Amino acid sequence: MRILYNWLEEFVDFQAPPAELRTRLSLAGIAIDSIEDSTAGPVLDAEVTANRPDCLGHYGLAREVAAIYRRPMKPLQPKLLESADKAADATRVEIESPDLCGRYTARVLIGVRVQPSPDWLRQRLEAIGQNSINNVVDISNYVMFELGHPLHAFDLDRLAEKRIVVRRARPGERMRTLDGVERTLGPDMCVIADASRAVAIGGVLGGAESEIGFASRNLLIESAWFDPISVRRTSKALGLRTEASYRFERGADPEMAELASRRAAELIQQLAGGQLLAGVVDVYPRREVGPAIELSRKELLRVIGDDIPDREIEEILSALGFHPVRKDTHRGSAGSILAVWECRQPSWRRDVTRGIDLIEEVARHYGYEKFPSRLPAARQPAKRLPHTGALDLLGQRLIALGYQEIVTIPLVDRRRDEIFRSPGAVPAVIGNPLAEDASVMRSSGVVSMVAALEWNLNHGQRNLRLFEMGKTYELRKGEPLETPVLTLGATGLAREKSLYETSRQFGFADLKGDLDGIGRLAGGRWRWGAMTKSWLNPARAGEIGIPDPSTASSSCRPIGVAGELARKIADQLKLRQEIFLAELRLEPLLEAVREAGVLRKFEPLPRFPAVERDFSLVLADGVTFTQVVDAVCALGIPELRSIEAADLFRGGQIPSGKFSLMIRVAFQSAEATLTDRQIAEYSSQILGALERELGATLRAS
Amino acid sequence: MTTDPTSETLAELGATSPEAVREKFAVLQARFDADIARRGSDADEQPALAAEWTGRKAGALTRIAEHWLRPAPAELKRVVGQEFQKLKAHVESVLEQKRAELDARAEAASAALDRIDLSLPGVERRVGTRHLVRQTFDELIGIFLSIGFSVVEGPEIETPYYNFEALGIPEHHPARDNMDTFYIDGSRGNHLLRTHTSPMQIRTMEKQPPPVRIVVPGKVYRRDNPDATHGYMFHQIEGLAVDTDITFCDFKGTVEYFVREFLGPKARTRLRPSYFPFTEPSAEVDASCHVCGGSGCRICKFSGWIELFGAGMVNPAVYGFVNYDAEKLSGFAFGMGVDRLAMMKHGITELPLLFGNDVRFLRQFP
Ligand SMILES: [Zn+2]
Repeated sequence: MRILYNWLEEFVDFQAPPAELRTRLSLAGIAIDSIEDSTAGPVLDAEVTANRPDCLGHYGLAREVAAIYRRPMKPLQPKLLESADKAADATRVEIESPDLCGRYTARVLIGVRVQPSPDWLRQRLEAIGQNSINNVVDISNYVMFELGHPLHAFDLDRLAEKRIVVRRARPGERMRTLDGVERTLGPDMCVIADASRAVAIGGVLGGAESEIGFASRNLLIESAWFDPISVRRTSKALGLRTEASYRFERGADPEMAELASRRAAELIQQLAGGQLLAGVVDVYPRREVGPAIELSRKELLRVIGDDIPDREIEEILSALGFHPVRKDTHRGSAGSILAVWECRQPSWRRDVTRGIDLIEEVARHYGYEKFPSRLPAARQPAKRLPHTGALDLLGQRLIALGYQEIVTIPLVDRRRDEIFRSPGAVPAVIGNPLAEDASVMRSSGVVSMVAALEWNLNHGQRNLRLFEMGKTYELRKGEPLETPVLTLGATGLAREKSLYETSRQFGFADLKGDLDGIGRLAGGRWRWGAMTKSWLNPARAGEIGIPDPSTASSSCRPIGVAGELARKIADQLKLRQEIFLAELRLEPLLEAVREAGVLRKFEPLPRFPAVERDFSLVLADGVTFTQVVDAVCALGIPELRSIEAADLFRGGQIPSGKFSLMIRVAFQSAEATLTDRQIAEYSSQILGALERELGATLRAS
Repeated sequence: MTTDPTSETLAELGATSPEAVREKFAVLQARFDADIARRGSDADEQPALAAEWTGRKAGALTRIAEHWLRPAPAELKRVVGQEFQKLKAHVESVLEQKRAELDARAEAASAALDRIDLSLPGVERRVGTRHLVRQTFDELIGIFLSIGFSVVEGPEIETPYYNFEALGIPEHHPARDNMDTFYIDGSRGNHLLRTHTSPMQIRTMEKQPPPVRIVVPGKVYRRDNPDATHGYMFHQIEGLAVDTDITFCDFKGTVEYFVREFLGPKARTRLRPSYFPFTEPSAEVDASCHVCGGSGCRICKFSGWIELFGAGMVNPAVYGFVNYDAEKLSGFAFGMGVDRLAMMKHGITELPLLFGNDVRFLRQFP
């Protein structure tokens, strides 16, 4: 809210320059964003928190200023010249729905002259961002910004039977509001009606039919109190936020209604003339007396951890209108630990109901800066998340492998998400999205990964290796399920051309090698198996499984997939490079990494040399390297240490339907240097087995 | 061509007295010195010269040993032996010195040819980067771990109860104005995307008895139209400490410790009263402006202070939702926007940069 410095001065004599006032108000809880100059003097932009509707007017803010500077508030006593005729004879007010409207006051002015406002009024309103309309409308606005209480002026002659009925809207009832919009009202909405129809939406906006114009002569000034929740509902339902609804939904002061009405009448008489009928029509079905609230020093010490002198406590609470009275039996002794003050909730502070609320009031005006600082004693060890170690290790390894970590917004495009979603998964769809491209919580990390690759490719970054540790989201039987995943994406060159090296494309083998590097952290025991995904190229895709800890057998539990993005999807997304993707579930992976760390045991270094033998095999297409390894391992040669794939090719001298695979087998004994005879014996066993099991032949060199 | 004296014995050369022997050796040494002077510094000639004198089979020293030393008569044996050792030592040391000189010259010559251009790049292995937001989380968590805060995480898809009601924000509370919310379609519990990490205050206290001291990192969501500083999602870190003896002074000390650790020992802290439904008393935590140091500039809107995050003492009403005894327990809570802190620290003005994942941006924070 915009606050005029000069206007505040009308209510309290604080004598502090604007910059100082800004700091002091900020330190008392009214944040001042900026100070500007205007024709009406300095303007402070105040951020009033939702619990302080009393500060949505200059008068209420002046009360804070008075408490800050411990200066008295100047009395607010509007002077009225009332005629002999009574308002109560000119109009009638009836509240049919006291649950929605707790108080309604009406004053009547006859024969006013509606005209443009004088300069001082126009300037003040303009300085706080309000357009000037005419003197009567401007005055009701002015009083709202002065006292924080919204008012409404009706053209009395346009009210059927010149009377007011406050009631619920009738089903389907329609009304044209001041902004010219025809609106349909609902039965939960509070309307101000005359004898025949709705003429205003209570606490929100007036109607066009009874609007004050330059031709209006006779006025009814409404100053009422509407139920906060009802106003908020109505304003939301109609999509209509007004200065009035803003105040009523936060809680206006019902006691202020009558004073605000008097103040408006005073100003109208001054600026528009006319005759004020005597008295006010005041229907007040929900008059409430503020409860008594206790503040004890014991509780203050327990919460704050520091003391505040009696005099400060009493001055602050008095200035804010709480009327503190010592009620303990130690009244004579200042600073007594047993001191208790009984306070009365003022009508403008419905937010203060408990001792803690009073402690806050006292503390903020005493000054947070006066309390000493301490660090609390720790009574428990500080624990990281269970898998932090494994997660960090994983992240560091990926970074070492050249992957850049990304962080994305999980709200994604619904159609994009569908491409990568597992069949049967129920997505967590946003019911009230702001945009189509953020209308569902992602079903996979891949959808965000592809978008990140796409962004970079479209910005000239062609060689990419990215990873994300995030979550996927879905609904299972209507309950949300969030699954942490690791997603990898790569495209372009695995190695860029430099002075010293040639370039090389990133391929499936790079992705597999990187994943196996991760697998090593997880104990090196994961298995690749065939699988198909609609979004992966079927010739270059695999599933990763890790041994199931719950079973002793060699059965594997799948934890993720890896492969090349299917061409048709790449085309659809206009991605011209080969894109490689992988997604792994993090929980089993991290558990495996953690477990591998625990189980890792030292193996003695070999004392005798290893001997390598190469076998150039010719195999039928379809035979896999794993089959070769399994056939060799099945021999149970104790000195067999490793089998590597050393060379692979097709064509040339190799007949079609076959391919050549060179394997490099290493032998090593822990007891002795192996002899040529032993090696020869093993070699012939190996060849025999490969021939027998897989029909392998040795390639003639 | 002169005859080679080393192919004959001393006797055959007529050297029968010690003086004559010495003279014969002196002549040989003079010849060696002359050879060295002529050919000793020539890289091509030097190996041949060395072979002529020290070759194992036919070198001059071998022949002297064979023809002069071995057959020498007993009375001359000693003097021949002495002279031979003298000559041998001279020859070997001079040759060694010459060889070293030549090696040094060769190395210097080749160094001039092979010298690398130090300004050319090396072969840099391309390593990846940790995302700035995650780096910031690491830093924040590290600070709070150091003063006894444990780390917990919670769901992003929440129920209205945990996100709002149990935090004192019922349906028609005006505080919901700042927390426009995305709702999930078709969920059983009217689920929503959490608007803050605060629901984990409730979930944690429901699960464990006091004392509690936790931080909660995570993603949160607001239904705000995206601009330079707002997006559908941002990151928060929530803090909560509850015990039988935690006071506003502990809250203040903790927050000040954090600000100094995060922004440096010169950073000052200011607590400004504020309002949050689930804390009371509440505060905004300001730090002295890192740009101007507090004298006032455009960044801090000439106030000298930058708003960091909201915090406060736990509102006793919250304890009622988790069956904690509000009369015995007290505590504080805070919630920081992690992206905002990272942006502030590194001078980033556009929030979307953080989640756009342009590798040129990522590389700036290695
Ligand atoms: Zn500054």
